[in-house]
Amino acid sequence: MSANSSVTVVQLDSAAQANKEQLHLLPCEIEHNGPAEVSRFYSPTVKDHKHEMTVSFRGRPLKGQEVNCPQGYTGLVLKEVQRPSSDQEDRIVKVSSVFNNFTRWNLETPPTSDDGVVMAMMWPKLAEAIHGPIDE
Amino acid sequence: MTTKKKRSPPTESDSWVLIAPDSVVASRKTRDPDATFVSLRNPATDGGSQYLFSNGDMQVFEVKAFSEDYRSWFIGQRVQRDGRLLYVTPVDPLFLLLPYLRKAGAEGKFQPLQQVVMDEDYPGCMRLLSCTHSVDSLHHVADEKEVGSMKFHRYSQEKTMEWLQKKVERIVRMLKKSDISVGGGVKSSTFIRVKEENHVTEVDYLCYAHGLISEYISEDLSKDLHKHLQLPEMSSPNKAEPPSKKRKLSDKPVEAGEDYTKFNSADFARKPPKKMTAAQKTLAKVDKTGMKTMSAFFSPKVKQENN
Amino acid sequence: MDLGEFETDNSVSCRLSSPIPDLCKNEDCCLGIDEAGRGPVLGPMVYGICFCPVSKKEDLKALKVADSKTLTETERENLFMKLDEAKSYVGWALQILSPNTISNSMLQRSKYNLNALSHDAAIGLVRYAIDSGVQLKEVFVDTVGPAEKYQEKLSQQFPGVEVTVRPKADSLFPVVSAASICAKVARDHAVKGWKFAEDLGDVDTDYGSGYPSDPKTKSWLLKYLDPVFGYPQFVRFSWSTAQTLLDTKAVTVHWDDDEEDGEKAAARQNNTSVLSYFSRKPSHGAHPREPHRFFSERKLQSVDTL
Repeated sequence: MSANSSVTVVQLDSAAQANKEQLHLLPCEIEHNGPAEVSRFYSPTVKDHKHEMTVSFRGRPLKGQEVNCPQGYTGLVLKEVQRPSSDQEDRIVKVSSVFNNFTRWNLETPPTSDDGVVMAMMWPKLAEAIHGPIDE
Repeated sequence: MTTKKKRSPPTESDSWVLIAPDSVVASRKTRDPDATFVSLRNPATDGGSQYLFSNGDMQVFEVKAFSEDYRSWFIGQRVQRDGRLLYVTPVDPLFLLLPYLRKAGAEGKFQPLQQVVMDEDYPGCMRLLSCTHSVDSLHHVADEKEVGSMKFHRYSQEKTMEWLQKKVERIVRMLKKSDISVGGGVKSSTFIRVKEENHVTEVDYLCYAHGLISEYISEDLSKDLHKHLQLPEMSSPNKAEPPSKKRKLSDKPVEAGEDYTKFNSADFARKPPKKMTAAQKTLAKVDKTGMKTMSAFFSPKVKQENN
Repeated sequence: MDLGEFETDNSVSCRLSSPIPDLCKNEDCCLGIDEAGRGPVLGPMVYGICFCPVSKKEDLKALKVADSKTLTETERENLFMKLDEAKSYVGWALQILSPNTISNSMLQRSKYNLNALSHDAAIGLVRYAIDSGVQLKEVFVDTVGPAEKYQEKLSQQFPGVEVTVRPKADSLFPVVSAASICAKVARDHAVKGWKFAEDLGDVDTDYGSGYPSDPKTKSWLLKYLDPVFGYPQFVRFSWSTAQTLLDTKAVTVHWDDDEEDGEKAAARQNNTSVLSYFSRKPSHGAHPREPHRFFSERKLQSVDTL
């Protein structure tokens, strides 16, 4: 059996019960997966003046902006239901939350349309031009 | 400040942030409530990549990651170390079938598809046969024969070229409507983006579109298509200025982290060296390669270092 | 002292000031500069100026203002009241540098150290006095960093003003003592009445002196350490006390301007992430092709394994 024979199944019916959660894309790598007191420490200190959002994380100044999902697209957070005991077994994930936008943060520099994360939002539209079927 | 710790290797993720077409999420209303990530042979690299099947394998999507260094997510009241944003976007299943058809086509025989699309390394490829747009559109890349209720196929290079050309033309139309910069490699970095593109030619668009298509076909097919489209000799902008690992930290300083307009002024290189932060050094390095390409583009091939 | 303006947003720097006495606009004046809360790991640092006509120096001395450090909190409060009562010839202004401002400045990419921050706050206050019409002739200040350099910097900024930078200026010149009292009173009020922007419920306000050596301060720092966020904005993240605690007790955070090692620099030049080196192996094939620049510019790549 090939290692590639195992697949990851997404239980899409779980999307109906999925939470709507706030997402923040941070300009640093946090070596941690797990709980974080975002609503106590982070959200109340975010300031939003005329579309310029600011906050501090670990004493460093961040500047942020809301980013919307491209039209026709939905944001999903997938979470593994149970870790399989071997790599031959299928992995099963569920939709733990859904989102239509998120906040992305730069370290110090004001967000611009040339930032990678914003430029990448262009991809789905181009993908459709590349991959749409050719009609006669 | 105290010394910085080394980054530890990433732990295996058990959660992912992704952006997917509404139709994938909506498909839970159909008979098959699940979607499946499957590893398939990537037609460009021949290695394995992740694809997503949904709607009872009738639709297939590819997975690309927006992956910037030093990123993590807050998701609700959780932190996720893996700061990637995965994009699930449609992929034309013909691209994924082509390598199998071409391999079988070498024998010159008509064969049933089920015999052609088999792969010990990537057994998931069978699912491609259930995709709406695969079997129906095989005539774009293969000759067909029907014997009784059985269909047989044989790869056609000629048809494939025509099909790819139509794709290229459609991409060009889309690019012209978009604000994607396609000009001859000038915008080598995300820092320099010239908005007005008066000098962009039809060939620039074709080359760019050819490059995009080449992400989904093998290298030799990419060359064939290049010929078919009668594009100028490949000048491979990537290889013209290979990023040398030995290149020293820039001796061309940069003033501030924010003011990128300075990068465009001809005299910035004369500024005396100053102490730079790590980040500025990084910027300076990025700028350097970008600047070379810029000057190479604007000046008629002669010297470029003494401005 | 009313800190209302600062308290509406204690994450930023804020200026408070008394009205400018008319006398100060018509007569040659002297001005003292001093600071409070430079050392503590908690709360704001406050810069203060106090000024009066040169002819009123003796009147100021008669108020018995002394170096704020030698006084009790109550004595300082009383002296501040006296200064307020002398508003016909005494004026003051304060620059409150919030702990968040201090952290942000000291930790920004192009490092902005505490001395520079202090000098700029002092210069800003003197500029404010001059711009408000104070006829400034003499400036007295306690030294921050090397005295000669500071003196030179201030003299350059304010030609025609005689600048005296002197260690212990706060005990030598009443106008500096007065400035130190204003600054210290503001700092005390700011710390005591600190409104946490974070949603922390009832916070234990037994901070101690705020100095890293104070056991009370130390135990407060341990109690309020969050493994992900570190501290509320009340704490100066740029202090080594805070950094050391975070290094040992909080999760590690990496930024793109952390000192680069060779491996990382090489990876950056190739426009790949370090992570991709040891976790997500690159695609097979003898000659992996460069991704098209549409993708490399957007940091988009194929995904080998989830």
